This record gives sequence, C-alpha cells and structure tokens, in this order.
Amino acid sequence: MSSDRTPKYRQEIQQMMFVSGETAEASVETTTLIEDIVRQQVVEILSRSTTLATRRGVRAISTDDLIFLIRHDKAKVSRLKTFLSWKDVRKNVKDSDDKGGGDAADFAGADDPMAGGVVAGPQDVASKPKNKRARVGLAWDVNSFYSIQVPERDDEEDEEEEEQNYATLQRLAAADERTKHMTREEYVFWSECRQASFTYRKSKRFREWAGFGIVTESKPNDDIVDILGFLTFEIVQTLTEEALKVKEREDREKNRRGGAENGAENAKKRKRETGLFDPPEEGRTPVEPRHIREAYRKLQATPNKNIAMLLHNGRVPARMPIRLI
Amino acid sequence: MSLGHHNAWHPPGPLRTPDDCLDERTVNGYSKAFSGSRTPQMRGSVDADGPHAGNLISEADTAAEEDPRIALFRDLYNRSEAKINGLFSGKKVAEDTISDAVAGSDEAEAGDQRADDSTPPPAPLRKPARKLDDDDYDDYDDDDDEEDTPPPAPKVFAPVQQANAIPSPGRPPSSSSLSAGADATKETKKESLEDVRKKLEEDKKVTEEAAKRSFHTIFYTLENDRDAMLDQQRLEESERQVEAEMSGQTTTGNNQTSGSSGYGSLSSANLGASSLTLKNLIARIDMKRTMVQASDAELRSLMSEVRKNRSKWASEDKIGQEELYEAAEKVLSELKAMTEHSSAFLTRVNKRDAPDYYAVIKHPMDLGTMTKKLKAIQYKSKQDFVDDVNLIWSNCFKYNTNQEHFLRKHAIYMKKETEKLVPLIPEIVIRDRVEVEAEERRLQLAELDGGDESDEEPIMSSRGRKAPGKSSKKGAAPARNTPSGSEPPGGPMSQPSAPARSDSDIPIEGIQNGFATPPPGIQTPSDPAGAVPGTSGGQDDGMDIDGLVTPTTALSALATPGIELADPESKVWKQVTKKDRALVATERHRLFKGDRINSEEPALLRTKAGMRRWLRSQKQICTEGDKPTEPSSQVMGPNAAGETLAEGIEGEEDRVIPDYYDVMSGIPDLPAHLLWSEDTEGNLIDASDEFLKILPKGSFMQPDSKLCVKLNANMRQMQETRKICSKIGIVKQMQIQSQMYQNQFQKYQPDSFIEQDAEPHVMNDNGPVISPWVCKAALQRSVAKVFYHTGFEEYQPSAIDAATDMASDFFQKIGETLKSYMETPKVPVMGTVENATPSQWKRAYTEPEIMLHTLSSVGIDVEGLESYVKDDIERLGTKLTTAHDRLRSLLSELLRPVLQDGGEDGSMAFADGSEQFVAGDFAEDIDEDFFGFKELGLDKEFGLATLSVPLHLLQNRMYNAAQSQNTSISQSVTVFQPPPSYPRITSESAPSQIGLLQAFFSAKLQATNNEPLVEDLELPPKQRPMAARPRLPASGRIPPPSNLPGPTSSPQKRPLPPSASASASNANQTGNSEPSKKKIKKNSGAAMGVPDANGEDEAATGADGAKASNSVSNIKSEEGPVTGLTNGKGAVENSAVSDASAADTSQNKNHSNAVPLTNGAAGDAS
Repeated sequence: MSSDRTPKYRQEIQQMMFVSGETAEASVETTTLIEDIVRQQVVEILSRSTTLATRRGVRAISTDDLIFLIRHDKAKVSRLKTFLSWKDVRKNVKDSDDKGGGDAADFAGADDPMAGGVVAGPQDVASKPKNKRARVGLAWDVNSFYSIQVPERDDEEDEEEEEQNYATLQRLAAADERTKHMTREEYVFWSECRQASFTYRKSKRFREWAGFGIVTESKPNDDIVDILGFLTFEIVQTLTEEALKVKEREDREKNRRGGAENGAENAKKRKRETGLFDPPEEGRTPVEPRHIREAYRKLQATPNKNIAMLLHNGRVPARMPIRLI
Repeated sequence: MSLGHHNAWHPPGPLRTPDDCLDERTVNGYSKAFSGSRTPQMRGSVDADGPHAGNLISEADTAAEEDPRIALFRDLYNRSEAKINGLFSGKKVAEDTISDAVAGSDEAEAGDQRADDSTPPPAPLRKPARKLDDDDYDDYDDDDDEEDTPPPAPKVFAPVQQANAIPSPGRPPSSSSLSAGADATKETKKESLEDVRKKLEEDKKVTEEAAKRSFHTIFYTLENDRDAMLDQQRLEESERQVEAEMSGQTTTGNNQTSGSSGYGSLSSANLGASSLTLKNLIARIDMKRTMVQASDAELRSLMSEVRKNRSKWASEDKIGQEELYEAAEKVLSELKAMTEHSSAFLTRVNKRDAPDYYAVIKHPMDLGTMTKKLKAIQYKSKQDFVDDVNLIWSNCFKYNTNQEHFLRKHAIYMKKETEKLVPLIPEIVIRDRVEVEAEERRLQLAELDGGDESDEEPIMSSRGRKAPGKSSKKGAAPARNTPSGSEPPGGPMSQPSAPARSDSDIPIEGIQNGFATPPPGIQTPSDPAGAVPGTSGGQDDGMDIDGLVTPTTALSALATPGIELADPESKVWKQVTKKDRALVATERHRLFKGDRINSEEPALLRTKAGMRRWLRSQKQICTEGDKPTEPSSQVMGPNAAGETLAEGIEGEEDRVIPDYYDVMSGIPDLPAHLLWSEDTEGNLIDASDEFLKILPKGSFMQPDSKLCVKLNANMRQMQETRKICSKIGIVKQMQIQSQMYQNQFQKYQPDSFIEQDAEPHVMNDNGPVISPWVCKAALQRSVAKVFYHTGFEEYQPSAIDAATDMASDFFQKIGETLKSYMETPKVPVMGTVENATPSQWKRAYTEPEIMLHTLSSVGIDVEGLESYVKDDIERLGTKLTTAHDRLRSLLSELLRPVLQDGGEDGSMAFADGSEQFVAGDFAEDIDEDFFGFKELGLDKEFGLATLSVPLHLLQNRMYNAAQSQNTSISQSVTVFQPPPSYPRITSESAPSQIGLLQAFFSAKLQATNNEPLVEDLELPPKQRPMAARPRLPASGRIPPPSNLPGPTSSPQKRPLPPSASASASNANQTGNSEPSKKKIKKNSGAAMGVPDANGEDEAATGADGAKASNSVSNIKSEEGPVTGLTNGKGAVENSAVSDASAADTSQNKNHSNAVPLTNGAAGDAS
C-alpha cells in the first residue's frame, strides 16, 4: 500500500471541491487529506458491504448492499436510485439497437455529470418518457413485503421520489445560482469540473486505489464501481461544505477578535471588509487541512440517539465504528 | 417520674429561674448578669447557705437587697398579678398568693437567713412569666435577665397562671416549716414532715407535668443523651461494684439488681400508690376498731401479709427497719442519680488520684460505701444515715480547700440536695421486735385506762409512717411519740436531725475555705469559665463558683456568654428526663459494637405498656391541640394521675420522656379506611369500596390515538395483501399441478390483530401497576407490532426479546432524564431574587421545555418524530394500498385468462404474447403454413381468420376450472339445445339401421351377448377406445407421407378389425397405403399437414380415388368437431381423433360423402 501514499486524485478532488463551493485552489495537503479520508471511507464501505453479502450467503457485493449502508440518508438513496435507473436506461438503449444512436449519446452525456453526483439536467427530461425507465427496487421497500412480485404500473406517480429529489433540486438550484453569472469560459470550466469523478474512465486506477482485491474478495462489477464513484463524490462534497462552514465560522471569529485587539488593524480590516464591490472569492484563502479535520470530526460525532440507545448504562465505548459520510 | 431528683424541689414556677441555670452546668446569660450586677461584698455577705439550699431565693433576695426599687416593683407586680389571678381563678388561691407574695417580698427585704429559705415569693413571680414564654413567645427567655423588674402584668395568661399557681400556695408553709423545723414543736414537726414529704412528691409531679407538656411543644435535640448515658453508666458501675462487694456478705437484698436500683424513684411512685390503698384500709380499721375482733398482733401480721410491696428490707425481728431503709435507700439512690454532681462521690477516693487524701481525711465516706452499709443493714437510725451523707460533703470541703475547686461545687450542690431529701426519711430508730413488744406490753399495762386513745394513736401513726406492717400501734407509738418524752430513742433521733442539718449548714459556712474534697482541684481561680472543656461537672462548678465568689471570675464568666445559652426550659427538660434518656440511650447503645450493629445482641422489643403510653400521649396531644386555651389545664393533672394509677396496677413503668425517644412503641396511624369500624347495629362497615379499585380497562392496550388507528390500518392492509398473495400463489401452483386432495393448497387466512387487555385486577391504591412482567409483555407486544408494521411477517422470540430490552432501556433513560428535569430546583421569578416569597418561585422549566430537553438529550427531535409519522406510517399506508391494488388486479387477471381477454369464443385471447407459439399462431407472421392448413385450402373453405389452434384447447384444465367457477357465464353461452343423444343400439333396433351396418352391429351384439351397445361417449374418458394418440416424432415435424415407407411408419397401436384388414387386402393395395392413410389420420390429430401429401399419394397409388377423398374426409371430419368445439363443447379432441380413425379403418371403401354425415355413427361403430 506504499504506493497509496502518493495522491492520485488531486485534480479530481480539486474539481469536486470547486463544484462544492470552494473557489480557491486547495493545497496539496488538503487534497491529500481528503483523499485519505475518502479512501478510508471507501474501504469501510467495501468491507461492510462484503460483510453484508457474506451474511446473505453471497460472495459478491450487490448494489443493494451498498445502498443498504446509506439507507438512512434518504436524499442520497434517492439520488442513487435515480442514477442507477438512468444508467439502466442507457444500457438498455445501447444494447437494444443502434437506431437511437443520438439518444444514446444523449444519455451518455447526461450520465457523466450524474456520475459526478449531479442528476441529469433538464435537457434529459424530455427523453425520459420515451424509454421505460426501470425502477430500482430495494430489498426493504414495501414491494418486498410480499411473496409475490408486485407488478409495476406506470400510471402511478411516485410522489415519494419527487419529494426525495428535493435535496437534489436544491443542490441544482444552488449550482444554477453559481453559474448564472459565469462567462462562457467559466461555465465550460465549471461543467468540466462537474464531470470529475474518481471512477469514470479510471476504473482500474480506482480499483487499485481502493484496494479492491484486498478488502473484498469478489471482483465488483461496474455498477458497484459507479456507485462508489457517486459516493466518493458525495463524500468530498460533504466534507468540503462542512469545512467551508468551519472556515467561515473561524474567519468570523477571527475578525471579531481582531477587531477587539487593536483599532488600527481593525480599521484596516474593516476597510477591506466593507469593500462592497470586492469580489468575495478574491482574497479568500483556501480551505486548510485543519478545517477538513474539524469537519471530519464533526461528521464523525456520534449522535445522541445512538448513545442513548446503547445498553450498558449509556457509557460510550472507547471506540465507535467509523461513520459513513 | 424518676427523674425529678432535684427539680422536685423547685415549684414549677421557678423552673426558669437563674438557679436552674446555676444548677445546670451551663454558663448562662442571666446568671452572669446576676453575678455581674452583684458586688463582691454583697456576695460575701450572703451566707453560704443561700446558694446551697436555694440559689433562687438567694438571688432574688440579693437582688432585692441590692435595689430597693426593684423590690418595690416586684412587690407591686406580685400584687397586681395576684389580683389578676384572683380575677380569673378561685378567690382563695388568689388571696393566698397575694399574702404569700407579700410575705415573701417582706422577708426578702428583711434579708435574713430564713427569708432565703422561703422560696415562695419569687416562685409565684416567675411562674406566670415563664408560662408566658411557654405559650406565647420563644424568645422570652431574655426576660429572665430582667426578671428583677416584673414582667408586664397584662400579658399574664390567666389559665396558665392558675395551673402554676396551685402548687405555690401550698408550698410556702411547707418550706417555712422546713426552715423552722428545728424550732417547731415535735407534733407540728411531725405533721410538717408529712407535709413536706407530700409536698415534695407533689412538686415532683408538677414539674414532671410541666416537662411532659413541653414535650409536645418543643423538640429537644439528642446531643445530650450521650452525656446522660455515660453518667448513668458510671452510676450503675458503682452500683455494681457495691453489689459485687456486698454479694458475699449480705443475706438480703440480693434479688435486687443494680439496674433495678436505678428505677428507685419509679418504685417510689408505686409505693405511694400502694400505700394510699392501705391507708384507706387502716383508716377504716381505726374507725371501727371496736368492731374488729382480731387482736393487734393479728392485724399486724395480716397487714404485713396483705401489703403488696413488702420490700426486701422487711424484717420480722427489726421494727422500723423497713421504713427506714426504704426511705434511706430512696434518698441514697436519688443522690446517686444526680449523676452530674454525684459522680465524684460514688466511689472511694483512690489513693492514686489523691495521695495525701487519707492523711487529711480520717473518716472517708462515699455513696458506694453507704450503699454497702445500707445493704448490710448497718444503719440503726436515720441519724446514722444522715451523718454518713453529710460526712461525704464535709470531707470534700475539708480536703479541697480551694474555694473554686469544682468538687466543692458538686459537694455544695449535693449537700443542698441532701437537705431537701433528708426530710423524706422518717425518724425511726430500729429496734428489736422482742424489745418493742416487751415495751408494748409494759405500756399496755401502764396505760390500760386511757386505752382507747392510745390504741388509736398508734395505728394512725403507723399509717402516717407508711409502715403499717411492722409496728403495732403500740410499737409505733413510742417511735412516733418521741416528743412526749416517754421513749428515749425517739428523742435523740428527732433531735439530732435538726442539729445535723444546721451542722451541715453552719459549719460549711464557716469552713468553706477549710475543707477539701477528694481529688485535688485543677482549676485555677482566674479561669473558672475556661474549665468548661472539663467534665460537665466542671462546667457546672465554674458556674456555681461564679455565683459564689470573686468578681473577677464573675467578670470572666460574663465575657463568655456564648458557652451555653440553653434556656431554663431545656434545663428542666434535661434534668427531668435525664435518667430515662440515659436508659434509652443505653438500650440503643447496647445494640452497637464499635460502630457496627452487634448481631448477637437481643433485639429491642416493643412492649404493650410502651405502646399504651404512646397512644395516651398522642391522645393528650390531640386534646391539647383541640382546646389549647381551655382554662382548666389542671384537668391534665387528675387525668394523668388516674392513668398513672392504672398503669401502676399493670406494672407499667412510666417514663418522663417524649415519644420520639421511644421509637419502638410508636404505632403508625391507621388510615381511616382500614379501621375496623362498626355502625350502630354492630355490623362491620365495609370500607373496601373506597380504596379498592379495579384497574381501569385498557391500561395495557394501545390508546385510540390517530397514530394507532393508522398503524392498525396499515397492518390490516398488509394482511389483506398477503391474502391476495397467497391466492396468487395457489393459482400459479394449480397451473402446474392438479388439485389432488382438499387441503393441498393452504389457504392463508390470518386473524386480525386484537390487543388483549390485562385481566381484571384489583388494586388498593392509586398509581401505576407495579408488575414488571405484565408491563414487559405489553412492551413486547408493541415492539412486535412495530416489527410487523415494518414488514416482518414473523419473527423469532429472541429478536423480540432483544428489541424489547433495548426499548425498555431507552425508555428508562428517557424517564430518568425527564425526572431529573422535573426535579430541578425552582428558580425565582425574574427580578425578585432578594425578596422572593414562595409564590414568586417558579419551576425551572415549563413542561414543553422539559419534554424538548429530554428528547434532545436522547437524540430525538420533533421533526424526526413527525417525519416518522409522515413517511413511515402515512406514506407507507398509501404505498401499501397501491401494492394491494396491483396485486389484486394481477390475481383477477390470473383467474380469468380467457373470458377476460378473449372474445366469447376465445379467439381473441391470443392476440399477443407468447401464447402465439403454443397455438402455432406465430407462423402467420412469417407466412409459413405451419400446419399445412392453408395448403389444404381450409382457410378459404371455412373462411377462417386464422389457422392456429385455440389455446384454450390446450389449456382445457384451466378452462374447465374457469368454467366451473363461472357456470352462469358458460350457460348463457349455450345458445342451442344439444340434440338428443342417439338411442343405444340393441338387438331390436339393429335391423332398423342401414343395411351396410346391420351385419356389423349384429356381430357386435353377438359379442356382447345382445346387450345394448354402449357408445364411446358414454364411457369415462379413460375407457374409451382410443385411437392411437397423435404423436410427434422428436423432430417435431410430421414427415411427409410420401417419404413414409411402410416399415418406418409408426407402429400400429390397435390391430385392425378383421373386416378392415380384409377389405384392405381386397383393395389390392400395397401395405403402405393403409399405413400411410393412418399416418395421415394420426397426424391430422396433431394438426399437421404436408401440402403435397395427397399428390404423392395419388401418384403412388394411382387408381385409388377414394384415397384422396378419404384423406380429405379425414380432415373434414376433423374439421367438424373442431368447429363444433368452438361452439362450447370441450374435450372433443379424442372423439375427433377416434372419428377419423374409425372412418378410416372401417369405411375406407365407402363413399366419402357419407362420412361427414355419419360421423357419429361411425364413431359408434368403431
């Protein structure tokens, strides 16, 4: 694993961070730290899903195993489901024939940003009705309550899914807001960044990086790798957003304290701060590793409920399992 | 009552007087004030007797001397108070008080020795004031400081006064007589002695009463109990020692244990009671002496037998011994019981402690030795005894020359007590019975004339002495008559007593500095108050000395006012209850070994007497609480007395101690509803209705909340859906296998969920049911419900248990958190922190706050709960409904495959889907005539839209099932009545058949013995003569007939009928023609056909025109049934096949036209 020490995804991570709101260029230390965290998470995900698969009596990990791990994050599950169903569509289209080559290309184009964690944009919606989108069923859905497969029906609206898409839409809206005033070049850069992925077209690198052969015996299929790509993007995004919050709070605190320290500096700072037309992105310092660490710590904090649910009189064990971000 | 020792001496009034402070070992506020106000000269001028005999008096006295104006005030006060008394109570009493008070104050001003002894004046003075304190103020103790000036008269409380005033009027004479004892005549003295004794008893009682009353109003702390206990232990120790020393020597009195001697004072009360009863008897006898036949001696012996408490001292030989020793013992034990002061005198002085003691003191004496002597009956008279007692004190004074020595203090106190106690001892000289009786006889002879009077006298006297048992009237007379001079012993005895006392007084006065007591003094004169750290006795000493001596010490005492500020009340309390407290403390102490409970020790048991006492005192409190202002508080006295008497009879020990000391005897209050109460007719009132409750229904069921309704609806929905699932499963299964037996396919019929409540349960209290297992079961049920609702249809018990445990743990945490939030101390309302009154305090958290805090501490928020309800219950409900709908439609599709999708004839049923293949329909698409029907031109001939085989022919089983289920539908389909079946062919009807067949029929009939021929259709399907079933070769294609050589044709299943084979051979055909025909027939059953088969046939056979038509007829004949079938007749396939074969085999030579017409008949024939 010594080779793992060298960062392999610096660019991707930077792009992802950019998409997640970080405007400045993060240092190598930051990206390396993020990469480490992400890899740790990936390894954890893999080993846990392997355990789950083993419990089912199967050696190979299935997508259900992965989704099961994040089942409590409904928004994420719904995004993942959407992603998977679109992926399915693309595959079907590709497989069925070559008549809709243009369509397939369309889907491929739509899928790439999805692999980056962003659901297909509005341009894809039109093509949706054309192909029957397979719904991804989960083992813990209502349909699995019964011994008989519940037949699908198209006419029913899946309101739940729409609601679950809310978070996704929020995200899209935010991205929309950010890109509103971009120049064409900027937007190109932005959309390039959106396509950044740990796995897309670098499946082999990813496998090596995540230590597939070591963590899990089976050879995960493409679906798994894609889901992992999706999840890794989510991890980076969550981390970055949290770290930005941390940094923001730190800056605010620093400003206030600095203001109290001496007037001269204060005045200077105020001058800089009050620059109404200062582009906020300039002068911003990039997120530093400590912010990332703090964000990671926050994300790892055990929620009260888990502690209260513990037997043994609520004593927190010395070591809690890693929480998946 | 035992505890009254020295308090008995004070009338209830002076309880609060400074004396008491002095008596106590406390340095007390006002005692200091006194000493401070006094000049040393004055102190010196007051003789030592004052402080000894009655400090109180001396104080008052000196105060009066000091300031005449104060005396004047007091005088005025006394009068006004007396007047008030008079107003409120009996006049006489008031007058008495007034006169007493006046006299007292006069005397006080006179300032002579006697006045000191006459306690009365201050007594009435004090009492009211004190009483006031009791009832009105707690802080009134300060009054005592200024007691020189009379307290405001108007404040005086009439009833209270009265209660206290009563003893006072009686007392003055007694005390005066006491002091005047020496001078008085003997007669009066005797009387006064009696009086004194009674007086003392009374006083004691009154004090106890007062103390007892205070039990209910004041709670005394227990910290003094240890001292009391230790003192008592010391006392008992010495008793034991004496006992041990005596045990070898004494013959009597062994039966009394040292412990019992501690109860001496108690027994004295009993003695009084018992002597009272005897007294009545004696008085009666005295009155009717003449009527009593018995002689004096007889009476005497009778009485001695009757008398209950005949004591250990009683002796037949010694006259007077019992009385003397009883009294002496009592006095001695009382002296010893004053443990605060007596402890130093209990045992002999140890030489180690005071090496030179025996050099100074030639005749050592101590209380222990006295006890020994007493038990050894070494005292001959009262005088002996008193001398010994006084010797102790004088020894002490002699040895401890230092004025401020603490032992002197004790000695002074003890001496004072002795003087008070000594009058209790009757003046008796013990004499031998023989001697006395001889004397009696002599006297009788001498005074025979005046017999009557002298007769009665003795008896009276004996009664007076409480010694009825041993002295006859004559024996008693001498003893008592000492003053008359006839008896030498009497004189000396009574005489010396007075001198003895005066001795003790006067010498002390003079010798004060000269005498020393055993242990050498340690205290320095300059630091009397500093001696406090010493024993309690030491403190006490300091106090007394303060009062007695130098101004410097007095000043220093003044400087330490805070040492003990105990009010007089608590002092009285201490004194009165000391012994009992000590006993109780000892009892408890015994239970402990070191700091632990000693398990070996016998348990403390509650006694009936104790409980009765407790109840009584409770009742008392109640009555007192009811009428606190009732003027006749004396009523208490009589009541108490009556009760004590009753107790005496029951052998009960009365203790002067508040209830909370006697924890064991406490009886808990019986709740009103548990009382055994009866109504007027004596029937028991059953109060069980009031407190027994039936557990309300539904305590262990889900409440009818909206959430629960939804939850239950969801579960119901799931059950319904599962039912549909099982039906679908059955249907699918039935397509694979036929139903063989009844319960082959289990029907899923779940019961709906009903929550069972706990059985009717009776509770006798409010509050929740404490029944862990029931509660756990209820929780388990809830958990199981949640499981089911989540989608688990069944679960393992262990899983439920685990989840239940976790849930209960979780809920317990919630409960604990909730509780701790609820118990948070109240906080003041904003802004009023300083002057917060109770109403201005509020709870730290409001109820919603409490709930929210609790929830967040266990990691739950309201949003989470809400989203659970919304997502996991409501939305789940809709999801379940849609799933249910879908499954139901799936089931209905499965159940009616033909009737729903196809037209009435089912021809539309196979428009789409995979069934096309089964029916051969698919071939249409690719323009292939799969069955070869097209080539035959059948479609054109019959105008068929399709040449495929209807699927329902293949699925006939399903179709039948559907039909049987929907009989109404199938009936409506039947448009035409089926034609009547042909009659059976019998031997009679056979000739009416066409000629060609007659021979055949007759042959058949012969074969069946002329039985009617059974038609194939009437036979059960399996018995029908089957033409060979159509079989396909493995290739699935029917080989063209031309390619079929004879040998390769499929083996013939049935031997040809003889006629057929004959005809075949007659037809001059090669063997292959018939097989080929047969082949075609067979294959036609499988709907196969080869376009050029006929042509080949014709080419091969050449001349046989019938063949082609035959094959056509074969097809046709097949066609008929097929179309017929579509009209609703199922299961005709076989007959169609058999038709064809029959026509082929039997009628291949016939004209083909006949075949379709005689279809049925041909079938019959075959």
